[in-house]
Amino acid sequence: MPDWLRYVRDHLSLSDCPPAREAEIVEELADQLEDAYQEALRLGLSDEDAFRAAGQHVSDWAKLADDLRRAGFLRPQRGPEDHFSVLNGKQPAFSVGINRHPVRADKGNIGATASAIASNARHDMHYALRILAKNPGFGLMAVLTLAIGIGANTAIFSFVNSVLFRPLPYPNADRLAIILSGQGNANRAPVSTFELFNIREQTREFDQIAGIWVTDAALPGEGDAEQVKRGVITSNFLPLLCAKPELGRFFRAEDEDRQQDGKHTRAIIISHGLWGRRFGSDPGIIGRSVRIGGGSAVVIGVLPANFRLIFPNDASVPSNVEYFDTIPIDASEPRGPGFLHLIGRLRRGSNLARAQEEANAIATRLRSLDSEIALANFRIYVFSLHADDVREIRTTLLLLFGGVAFVLLIACANVAHLLMARAMRRVRETTIRAALGASRGRLVCQLLTESFLLGLFGGVMALGIGWAAVRAILAARPPSLANFGDVHLDVRVFAFTFAVAVCTSLLFGLAPAISVRRLNLTRGLKDVSRQVGSRRYHWPSFLVSAEVALAFALLLGTGLLMRTFINILHADPGFRADDVSTFRITVPSYQTLKQLQKNLSAVPGVKSVSAVSHLPLDDTGNWYDYYWKEGASADQQNTVMADHRSTLPGYFSAVGATVLKGRDFNESDDASHQHVAIVDDVLARELWPDETAIGRKLNISDSPAGAYQFQRDWAVVVGVVRHVQCHSLTASVRPQIYVPYQIAPRPSMSFVIRAIGGIPELGAIVRRQVALVNKDLAVTHLEPLSAVVVRAQAESRFASVLATLLSAIALLLACVGIYGVLSYSVAQRTGEIGVRMAIGAGRPQVVKMILTDGLSPVLVGLTAGFTVSLFVAHLLTRLLFGVNPGDPANYALILVILILVSMLAAFLPARRAMKVDPLTALRCE
Amino acid sequence: MAAMFNRELKKGSAELLVLSFLEVRPRHGYEIGKLIETHSKKRIQFRIGSLYPILFRLEQKGLISGRWVEKPGERRRRYYRITSEGRRVLSRQRTAWEEFVSTINQLLSTKHA
Repeated sequence: MPDWLRYVRDHLSLSDCPPAREAEIVEELADQLEDAYQEALRLGLSDEDAFRAAGQHVSDWAKLADDLRRAGFLRPQRGPEDHFSVLNGKQPAFSVGINRHPVRADKGNIGATASAIASNARHDMHYALRILAKNPGFGLMAVLTLAIGIGANTAIFSFVNSVLFRPLPYPNADRLAIILSGQGNANRAPVSTFELFNIREQTREFDQIAGIWVTDAALPGEGDAEQVKRGVITSNFLPLLCAKPELGRFFRAEDEDRQQDGKHTRAIIISHGLWGRRFGSDPGIIGRSVRIGGGSAVVIGVLPANFRLIFPNDASVPSNVEYFDTIPIDASEPRGPGFLHLIGRLRRGSNLARAQEEANAIATRLRSLDSEIALANFRIYVFSLHADDVREIRTTLLLLFGGVAFVLLIACANVAHLLMARAMRRVRETTIRAALGASRGRLVCQLLTESFLLGLFGGVMALGIGWAAVRAILAARPPSLANFGDVHLDVRVFAFTFAVAVCTSLLFGLAPAISVRRLNLTRGLKDVSRQVGSRRYHWPSFLVSAEVALAFALLLGTGLLMRTFINILHADPGFRADDVSTFRITVPSYQTLKQLQKNLSAVPGVKSVSAVSHLPLDDTGNWYDYYWKEGASADQQNTVMADHRSTLPGYFSAVGATVLKGRDFNESDDASHQHVAIVDDVLARELWPDETAIGRKLNISDSPAGAYQFQRDWAVVVGVVRHVQCHSLTASVRPQIYVPYQIAPRPSMSFVIRAIGGIPELGAIVRRQVALVNKDLAVTHLEPLSAVVVRAQAESRFASVLATLLSAIALLLACVGIYGVLSYSVAQRTGEIGVRMAIGAGRPQVVKMILTDGLSPVLVGLTAGFTVSLFVAHLLTRLLFGVNPGDPANYALILVILILVSMLAAFLPARRAMKVDPLTALRCE
Repeated sequence: MAAMFNRELKKGSAELLVLSFLEVRPRHGYEIGKLIETHSKKRIQFRIGSLYPILFRLEQKGLISGRWVEKPGERRRRYYRITSEGRRVLSRQRTAWEEFVSTINQLLSTKHA
């Protein structure tokens, strides 16, 4: 005979039960198992089978122990009122499928309260999971809709987080400011060493002010000659942006003077990349002499691998500067050109407003120094470095963020509708539960738990979608985003996604929950079926209207951005990029330049070859200066600036610019002859609106004595060309003045080669020809000019592609939403349709009724969307080009699209309504 | 074989059933389970693992009370009897159940759209 006492003891673990009570429990269970065993034997089972049959009476010992524990073997006995207290009220104590006895805690017992809440939550969670599992199609649809909405938000927030929220990777980044000067019509100009000296002398708000100017330098060596970016900096520049070098040291103040005295070898600090690429990460590089930039220099430091420069795009300070050397700050030359881009570190306790106030005072003092020097309109601007870095991309990002928020709201509306429709179908269930004793609070909690679970699953899936979207967007990001390093899903993004998932789940879970709060129990029990069938709700119409309004605004924004992008694609940049290849070299002499031009011209298939100091739309440090016409009064001088470009003869035909009047440069346009210049039509119209510019004298900046030895000079205008877009495809920043290379030599020039069709192996030919002329010359930026144009289109492409994607998603979701609402409406009104048809309504009338019902909220949505769109269009203005945000054609097109889509969504339910059989429908009723 | 009722229904009515079977006279645990099974023609069955916690809970609430009874030649067993409070609760619960069943029947007899 089995030892049931031992059997029970072996299986039942009641370690927290008083021993005497445990012994009783074990004995009683053993007794009952013995009864079961004996009964099985009586039925003719063998010993073994009877033992097994009795054992099956308790399949889950852990659950039994848990049930006993919950029944309260540790607690003192309570009075009977506690147990069936619900019977004393009006509600019966029976329950089907819902926690009948929500665990209640004794007052003052915090542990028990927590346990009660956890138990209820666990129960609700379990029930919600079961409900979702019963209808996986519904769950999948809701989760997918949410995941798309939240995922889009996660992706764009990742960028907002990385670009707008994350501090720059510099020490004391919050105290770093960029200092720009205003001179003439230029408001974001660099400053001269004279101005830097004076600002440094007078500032009390900054504890450091440093400057940088980036240029190209040749790096000859064992392998291919290379052209690299050289940062000319003040000695205090690097310590402002980098905690410490990887190797060696930063510059000291005395290095600035040593660079110039001729007795010392130049000291340089190199980037981590250059150290690895050219010097094999040699740990003994410090103190080593290297050939660089047309001379030799001693390496005194190597920067860390993660160091990068993050400057505004228009500062011509790229992130990939390969080596740095220093310049002294010259206090003596007020007429020196402005070329230094300044950053400053605010003193602790200071702020930007005080710094700007001080800058205004310094600018006033500098203006009063000498009325003749070029400081007549001198102004100083101080901005936060981070804010200035992101000023271009901020609007795009925030608008996209707004766009994804709209998509999310549409997704929420869809899910809210799904939940509401389901809640209506579950009215009977909910009413019965309430009748069985479930409080409204518990029912609301249950429904909110369901929506919370949907939100949670949606959030988890959204992280996957967000991650994939971030990868995809990174591949297409414009240069203004490229500087900001890695964009990834960090803790803040996870927190954001989770918060959005929770908030949205509450948002779309609210409507069904409110419907439960309004549940009329008495009427519900008596009249469940009619409550489902006959009561008309306004929420579906509201949701459709909201979706249509949001989709309208998104579509309008997208339409404007797409038209902008199309306009940019077709924008005339003033040159023809097709069939043009370019490359850049550091120029050792005019003869080399001429020889190369001659040799390349001789290559079969080449139509024309020339060179220019600054390619259109390129990132080379800009060169711009004041100009004025002959006869301009003193107060008209030094007021407006033009971009200056040094060119070889033949540049305009090679780049495809149009010479409107006069002639191109020729070989005799050198320093020994009358200095000449070619201007663009913008400048010509401005200075000589009603007369020809040819033959007029213009005061410009040139440097016949050598590169960077600028002087004011009078030049005769010999030609007028059409304006070329130099900085962007859309904005005309300044007019242009072209001067012959011979009177304005530059250290580096870009060659422009126009070929007849494509020339195979052009790259190899160029390198061979360059090496033939000078083997130490590095060829860089060898690419088609069209690549430069494509880069310039990147930001607009980025915004329009993303906006189009968002709109497509929004349109699809809105379409699904309208379809869902109308389908639901038709299903709800099947009986009514039957009655109408039975008393003579024709099918067209029924379809008309359904379409009218379905499309009325669409019309309301269109009206609301139109109003919202006016505001959206206003926000977009800065990103638009050649598009009138108020153009009625845009609005009309979107109206047509949305009405067509709505009709498409309404078509299937309407067709279903048309096919309703009156007899069947009446039977249902 | 008659169809079994679903677990939820069984769970919701178990305490009521136990109280009603103790109304006439005290019984021991296994006997209560067997009576329910027999009277329901095996459509409601309680295994020991399910019924024992219900008895335990009812006892904790004071609606039934158990005591060990020893008879000559038999092992000692625990018998349960219904308390006076248990009777009051049973009476109220019975009425509520009847109202509930009648409401549900009324609902189920209506065809809904």
